[in-house]
Amino acid sequence: MLEIRDLVCGYGHGTALKGLSIEVKEGQLVALVGANGAGKSTTLRAISGLVPPRSGVIRFSGRDITGAEPRRILAHGIAHCPEGRRVFPQMSVAENLAMGAYLRRDRPGVAADLDRIYGEFPRLAERRHQAAGTLSGGEQQMLAIGRALMARPRLVLFDEPSLGLAPTIVERMFAVIRAIRTAGTTVLLVEQNAFAALELCDHAYLLETGRVVRAGTGSALIADPHVREAYLGG
Amino acid sequence: MDQLLQHLVNTLILGGTYALLGVGLTLIFGIMNVVNFTHGALYTVGAYLMYLAVAALGLNFFLALPVAIAGGLALGAVIEVLLLRPLRGQDIDTTMLVMIGAGIVLQSSTLWTFGGVAKAVPSPFPQAPLQLGPVSVSWLSLFVLAGALLLIGLTYALINRTKLGLAMRAAFQDADTAALMGVDVRGIYTATFALGSSLAAAAGALLGPVYVVFPQMGQLAELKAFAIVIMGGLGNVTGAAIGGFLLALAEEFGAGYVSSGYRDAMGFLIIIAVLLWRPTGLFAKAERIG
Repeated sequence: MLEIRDLVCGYGHGTALKGLSIEVKEGQLVALVGANGAGKSTTLRAISGLVPPRSGVIRFSGRDITGAEPRRILAHGIAHCPEGRRVFPQMSVAENLAMGAYLRRDRPGVAADLDRIYGEFPRLAERRHQAAGTLSGGEQQMLAIGRALMARPRLVLFDEPSLGLAPTIVERMFAVIRAIRTAGTTVLLVEQNAFAALELCDHAYLLETGRVVRAGTGSALIADPHVREAYLGG
Repeated sequence: MDQLLQHLVNTLILGGTYALLGVGLTLIFGIMNVVNFTHGALYTVGAYLMYLAVAALGLNFFLALPVAIAGGLALGAVIEVLLLRPLRGQDIDTTMLVMIGAGIVLQSSTLWTFGGVAKAVPSPFPQAPLQLGPVSVSWLSLFVLAGALLLIGLTYALINRTKLGLAMRAAFQDADTAALMGVDVRGIYTATFALGSSLAAAAGALLGPVYVVFPQMGQLAELKAFAIVIMGGLGNVTGAAIGGFLLALAEEFGAGYVSSGYRDAMGFLIIIAVLLWRPTGLFAKAERIG
């Protein structure tokens, strides 16, 4: 479904990605793990068009989307739930969710999806008129996820969804992501919490300094001595 | 008491156009992070378009107004596409210098085209003022206030009730994330700059018939617009609207009860006071990010 070949990307003079190749198959939950600065977030930002690649190819459903504008990529069916949640703080919960459906024209479908998300996250329904900046961190993360789903995407990119959240909320959040995949949406997940991500995923890539250094199923990577030593605490 | 009432009425009239000027400037700064040094020149252009339409082409006064506003909208869009779009991502000083240059070019163009002699825009309203007890107010001024309030109201409705407004607010709060939601951020910038410019042109078109039209009229208007925007908090639309009326209040009462010679100094005294006392503006509110 998503195929990245030899992607090179960078900010200014630095190179964050040095020839990265990964593949995400339809219906899979794929994880990108690795240390801070390994290039995980840059990969997602390149897929969704926020960072123009210097070279390499990104293909989605057979279509070349390399260097396309973010709104075109979203229109093709890729939604991005960014690092740090990035809800619009001065907008209400309802307006944030409306932003998620910004490109959609099918009003009844949008209304149905909104009901579904309020059903899934009752806290958001209770606070629909409240400014998103006043929500707790966990609520903001749920809002960011709901907002990404409002685009009715075929592939969702999650960037560090567990960052800065209390452990009980992290568990809940991983359950939500698993449910999204079960419902038929393909997921590409970037996580620093390597163990949780590897347990959750079908397939995983380990990134180090802008390259893939290990690839395989989650359980294979958990068993890998290098991964155990460097990322799972031995 | 009678004098006080008259000053209050004058404050309202003056405040309406000040608010209009401030809202246009603060929108552009808030959403695009551009300090628009063409704002005064656009105000002048609005007044000259009004003069051109009414005095030179003989167009109906009430038809000329939307024409002048549309002219400001179009000119703003052109400035954004030609000058600001290529400078996206440059630091704020660069765009500031370019905008100062563009302002000078615009002002000189009006001087070149229309000459330095002030022009009058004929108004269709009766000369005799409306007497409300002790207070006297000209019909034209009342129309100016109504026009300014209507335009501010329309701007509010656009920002808070339309999809374009939703996208503008999203781009204002977080441009990258707005792009991820499918917002055409470049298009939003053009629309925002055009809208802000049209409000400056509208203020000029409304005030041109009240005073006279001359090429440098925008200079003081621009400085006052900056005073209003700093008072209201940079990027704060409601703050700018209230700030416009506060500046008018300070000017009117300063001129009435202190000395009329200090009228135009009042705004700058306020800026100094605000910057010393509340540098984020009078209406800044704390907000939770995490």
